[in-house]
Amino acid sequence: MNHHDGLEERSRTLFQDSVDNLDMRVRSRLTQARHAALEVAAASGRRPWLLRASIWTPAAGVTAAAVLGVALWFGSPVGHHVITASDNPTAFEDLDIVASSDDGSGDAMEMLQDDVDFYDWANKAENPGPAA
Amino acid sequence: MVRDPPAPAREGAVLDQTRELDKFLAEVERRAFRMAQIALRDPDDALDVVQDAMLKLARNYSAKPSAEWRPLFYRILENGIRDLQRRRSVRKRFMVWLPGAKEDPDNEAQDPLDNVADGGPDAPEILMQSQAMEKLETSLRGLPARQREAFMLRNFEGLDVAETAKAMGCSEGSVKTHYSRAVHSLRDQLGEVWQ
Repeated sequence: MNHHDGLEERSRTLFQDSVDNLDMRVRSRLTQARHAALEVAAASGRRPWLLRASIWTPAAGVTAAAVLGVALWFGSPVGHHVITASDNPTAFEDLDIVASSDDGSGDAMEMLQDDVDFYDWANKAENPGPAA
Repeated sequence: MVRDPPAPAREGAVLDQTRELDKFLAEVERRAFRMAQIALRDPDDALDVVQDAMLKLARNYSAKPSAEWRPLFYRILENGIRDLQRRRSVRKRFMVWLPGAKEDPDNEAQDPLDNVADGGPDAPEILMQSQAMEKLETSLRGLPARQREAFMLRNFEGLDVAETAKAMGCSEGSVKTHYSRAVHSLRDQLGEVWQ
């Protein structure tokens, strides 16, 4: 690679000259940027390792994915499953109360049955049959 | 279970690490700026990219061994340069449709005397150097990005092949190929002028 040396050497020298001759405004801006970076490094170094973002970022990602997965599972139709009495007895009692308050429920049928008995008795009382 | 060292020891270690990082950044910052400026043609953009690279290195990698900082820093820097160039090309596409759009810095002619600093060698010599540098910059900008990166990292920053490969995120073989092609292209363009 010797035939390249002249070009490499000259370009390196020119580049280094241009670096050495940077104006004060640029130098000052670079110094400010460096100090800002050092503050960031010092702040992140002082934090105990348990509080560092680099430790918690992957953990937070995994946790968020797990929560999302659970939410999707229970929110999706595939995740719905039939409730049995053993799952939650209280839920069954609630269902019974709701059902019993509806029209046509057991109570209503019972009241209707009472009415039928009453009308049957009233009919017989009004038209008594031949005395035995 | 990893335990933190006692607070005073940790404070001392942080101080040492900060001092070392200060030394490293002070050593590379000007060359990094010039490399970014050659690639981006705009000093303010170059300053932004270098500052961003410094912050990212400090925030994410300051705890790593200092021997790893150089390739990491240049990798962040080159990524920043590429991102900015991509954003510029997208912006340029949209700017075409806007009346009175501002000229992109890529198209602005640069005055060679902009790079001349106060003091130092006499004026004719400065002018010659400045013109030679201007030709070199123009030729470097004409190279494909990967060739330019390989040439600047190897020749200007002095990274070895392995470090350059880390900084560029490619194999050592690719670095050698990019570098060799860059040198040949530059020789073709600058050879006659520089003889």
